[in-house]
Amino acid sequence: MAYHSPYRAAPQVNAPPDQSFLWNIFQRVDKDRSGVISDSELQQALSNGTWTPFNPVTVRSIISMFDRENKGGVNFNEFAGVWKYITDWQNIFRNYDRDNSGFIDKNELKQALTGFGEQQSYRLSEQFYCTLIEKFDRQRKGQVAFDDFIQCCIVLQRLTDVFRRYDTDQDGWIQVSYEQYLSMVFNIV
Amino acid sequence: MSFHYGQGYPVGSNPPPGAQYGGSSGPYGPTPSAPYAGAAHQPAGPYGAYGAQGQGGQYGHRPGAAPAGQYGGYGGQPHGGQPHGGQPHGGHYGHHAPAGNIPPGVSQEAYQWFHTVDTDHSGFINLKELKQALVNSNWSAFSDETCLMMINMFDKTRSGRMDVFGFSALWEFMQRWRALFQQYDRDRSGLISGTELHQALAQMGYNLSPQFSETLVRRFTVQGGRPGVQLDRFIQVCTQLQSMTQAFREKDTTMTGNIRLNYEEFLSGAVTRLM
Repeated sequence: MAYHSPYRAAPQVNAPPDQSFLWNIFQRVDKDRSGVISDSELQQALSNGTWTPFNPVTVRSIISMFDRENKGGVNFNEFAGVWKYITDWQNIFRNYDRDNSGFIDKNELKQALTGFGEQQSYRLSEQFYCTLIEKFDRQRKGQVAFDDFIQCCIVLQRLTDVFRRYDTDQDGWIQVSYEQYLSMVFNIV
Repeated sequence: MSFHYGQGYPVGSNPPPGAQYGGSSGPYGPTPSAPYAGAAHQPAGPYGAYGAQGQGGQYGHRPGAAPAGQYGGYGGQPHGGQPHGGQPHGGHYGHHAPAGNIPPGVSQEAYQWFHTVDTDHSGFINLKELKQALVNSNWSAFSDETCLMMINMFDKTRSGRMDVFGFSALWEFMQRWRALFQQYDRDRSGLISGTELHQALAQMGYNLSPQFSETLVRRFTVQGGRPGVQLDRFIQVCTQLQSMTQAFREKDTTMTGNIRLNYEEFLSGAVTRLM
């Protein structure tokens, strides 16, 4: 079983938007004009397509991915990465949300997770997709909204990356000690 | 040879939560001289694994077991995470709480707090309400991650919010963790340092290296803050550690301290247990 990570990153779907366009958006999102977009500023700017607030944990995950100096937010240069990251995910989400409901169900999620990336020769069980829906569906609808979908993919990506580091012979199996295992799941290796 | 994790293994039934020993850390010694000698062999072991903290209510209610005073005005805060300003202390709250009809199994204190925290009077505590109610020693709000984790633990209704029974269990849970936090925060800095965390984990019965604690502290230090683990993340770390140790145990049927697992087993173990 191989598990060529499909979660590595959102594939390149969009051409990079031009700077003045981004600068306009940045200024609107940076409400306190600090030059840095904080978690709460980004959260207010994002919509998950329903009338519920964007998942704050997703916001934190995204910001920490691009916040290079550990300042708790993103500056304009970093924001370009954030913007691209979110719009790429948005395109994927729309692509797999075939009924345009704003949510993707188990089958759509399965297609989304196996459908991107070039090599998808691995298989995850039906049961596993049920677990994913159950764990990431904050709105308890049996489906995941956009923000929870991103969070799901981020978590899978991190876990896949750490698994790969231990699976040196790439056979899909690892052997780990107690402390190694804990380090892996705390994602602190 | 069998491998001793410490936590969990030596414990047959769930011992009382550490909170009960609050302040009596003396007998265990602040620094186990041989952390690798196997916490499991030490007398501290049995007290350690206050096993399933998560299963709130398991210990039943011990009303009065944790009066605020007992933990000694730590930074002037009462136990259990307190609502922001304006909330009266010392049992005089309860403006919304009719004294009469407290549901069975719910302490009066928890019941009163429930009504204080339930600001929209929906009869449920959601993430936002919980986050507004809980603060760390430096008055910063609890992290979203910790709040979500706790809601997931105590939301028996699977609706993303807690009813009064779930909240009551969370209340007990918070009391125990806060007391433990204060016990292990030996220098009263409001933060658990790497050394303090290592001592805490050893006393809980975990057999982990000092480096592991240091790494945890680095991972869970608030951005831009002093190094150390605040109460919210301490609760998160300890709860997850407990849960992941359980996951490891289930795989390590031969008790060798090593497990073999495949990609999906790894993913689903982490996803199921961590959240």
